[in-house]
Amino acid sequence: MTEPLASALDPWPDTVRWRPVSTRLIWVEELALLLGMGSLVLGCAVAWRVLDWRLLGVAALVLAAVGLVRAVAIVRTVRAWGYAERERDLLVRHGRIVRRLSIVPYARMQFVDVSAGPLERVFGLATVQLHTAAAATDARVPGLEPAEAARLRDRLAALGEDRSEGL
Amino acid sequence: MTNGAMTNAAEPVTRLHPLSPLLRSIRLLLFAIAAISWQGYDKLGLASWLVLVGLVLLGVGALSVVSWWFTGYHVVGRELRVYEGMLWRRTRAIPLERLQAVDVVRPALARLAGLAELRLEVVGAGKTEAPLAFLPIGDAVALRDRLLRLATRTPHVVAAAPGETAAAAGGTEAAQPPLRVLHMVDNRDVLLGQMLTPQVWSVPFGIVFVGLQFLSENRGWTLIGAASLLTAIVGVVQVPVRRVMQDWGFRMAVAPGGLRLRGGLLETLSQTVAPTRVQAISVTWPLLWRPTRWVRAVLDVAGYAAQEGQSERQVTRLLPVGDVGTARRLVAEVVPGVDITALPLTPTPRRARWLAPLAQPVLGAALADRVFATTDGRVTRQLVVVPYERIQSVRIVQGPLARRLGLASVHADTAGALRAVAAHRELADARALAAALSERARVARAETARAEAARAEAIHEEATQTETTHAGAVQTETTYRDAVQTEVTQVRREPGDAPWTNRQIDPGSR
Repeated sequence: MTEPLASALDPWPDTVRWRPVSTRLIWVEELALLLGMGSLVLGCAVAWRVLDWRLLGVAALVLAAVGLVRAVAIVRTVRAWGYAERERDLLVRHGRIVRRLSIVPYARMQFVDVSAGPLERVFGLATVQLHTAAAATDARVPGLEPAEAARLRDRLAALGEDRSEGL
Repeated sequence: MTNGAMTNAAEPVTRLHPLSPLLRSIRLLLFAIAAISWQGYDKLGLASWLVLVGLVLLGVGALSVVSWWFTGYHVVGRELRVYEGMLWRRTRAIPLERLQAVDVVRPALARLAGLAELRLEVVGAGKTEAPLAFLPIGDAVALRDRLLRLATRTPHVVAAAPGETAAAAGGTEAAQPPLRVLHMVDNRDVLLGQMLTPQVWSVPFGIVFVGLQFLSENRGWTLIGAASLLTAIVGVVQVPVRRVMQDWGFRMAVAPGGLRLRGGLLETLSQTVAPTRVQAISVTWPLLWRPTRWVRAVLDVAGYAAQEGQSERQVTRLLPVGDVGTARRLVAEVVPGVDITALPLTPTPRRARWLAPLAQPVLGAALADRVFATTDGRVTRQLVVVPYERIQSVRIVQGPLARRLGLASVHADTAGALRAVAAHRELADARALAAALSERARVARAETARAEAARAEAIHEEATQTETTHAGAVQTETTYRDAVQTEVTQVRREPGDAPWTNRQIDPGSR
């Protein structure tokens, strides 16, 4: 990690070795943001020109500003994303503004998802998500190299098999 | 396709009660006839009208008979299989180790006919699985006890041979072994308790407000005004009224296979919940109940939680209304060794007021011997208790303001709907809490797993004794994956049958 993180997301610095996600995820997220926000801004701007309705112009400006802030935040968010495999559980941390750290025991795993959206595929990335019986469990690791994603999936599956206890 | 195709195994398929389709469609039927009557009687004349109604009755009757003929269930190994449908055949295999609870429901009409509906709550299923409607009440009770015996985790119940249950079939609830009744709610308290709800209290204000409006506009009462007011009142009051209906005569008893919760005025609902399936317990103390010092306690059972927003059944009441002492006794019955009045709750620092200006003084969290407990709510106090072995994952969440203040919240996630959140703890405290929670959850799980292994062995022996003829259906392992795999191969092996859509119960769907 390039910058030191505040301690909330780094509870056991001695025993835990955090792995970062690929920095190419920044591009994926930025492009997704550009496509999403960009089309909104463009839509507003066009409507403004056509209808000559000032409020729409303001909306386009506000949206563009929000998009810019998000674009800057994404860099930091992606850098903050990390995961660590411990002996019995997987740690996932993410978020810069609201910081989250999830501790998910392998034994509680119900299934693992590996997914790759079109944008992610362009950049050769994949997302691994761990599901438990609790809907609130929040263990998604995006921006993994396919090889690393496959390794993580296999390892999680193997560990889950070993220690499955379900509910 | 005869019934014989369904059975290639140990136990014959049992059909539901012949009256079932009629009872299920009776409302629709009456509605259809009413529609025909209103619209058609004038135009058609008496003779054609009678013919039409006769045709409808005949059609519905024929469909009922067909659907009845093709619906059946039987127990294979440690699975309940339910067969349905003529054109779209559907077999559902319900692994009993996934069974969370079994309800016996008796709607008013079915009650008159001496029938009952059996509802199985399975973890991960999006809704109540396999409602078997309707069975004669004796059969329903016997089947429930049998399913629970197969599903339950308590070793001494497993030890009972499955052959015994056949003898118990046909007996009624009265013929069952005497239950140890733990608590019976006082109907007067139920009524009074629901009177003391904001909904009921708002009614007079609403009436006065609307009345004043009418007076000020000097129009007097119109029919529409009165009708809409009435509708509004009914809408507001229906929650308390429904609760009174549900909680009427509520009693809780200990039965083989778990806790037996029973109650209901028009529709009797009898639920059996294995204590090991309880994900969390909450005890709430509403503002209006403070003078009477009453609390309400609910159980969060994983299967019920799946049907969110449907009704209050997503959580099961443990105590509709009662004093703290009763709640304490009942909670201790569900999770032995827990005393809700003596939890080692620790408060949050005063600066958490910035984040929770009202609730800060009541926020608390406790690491008790067997459970994690949190308190919340200034107006409606709530205590959430989660046994360590039910914790699925632990999360630390810290918002931007909390970071400034050096605070963080710890969430303990369960498969249920209740949330145990230790809100706004000191950062170091939050981290220690998260570490302690995951460690204690691990230890608790390991203990459960050990007990489970012993039980699986007992089942293995039992299963190989009773089910040797039926290859493939015997499940000695209790993990879900095995259940699915066995099921899939099993279905493929069915000789020359229609393409049944095999709906599996996916624990990960939520």
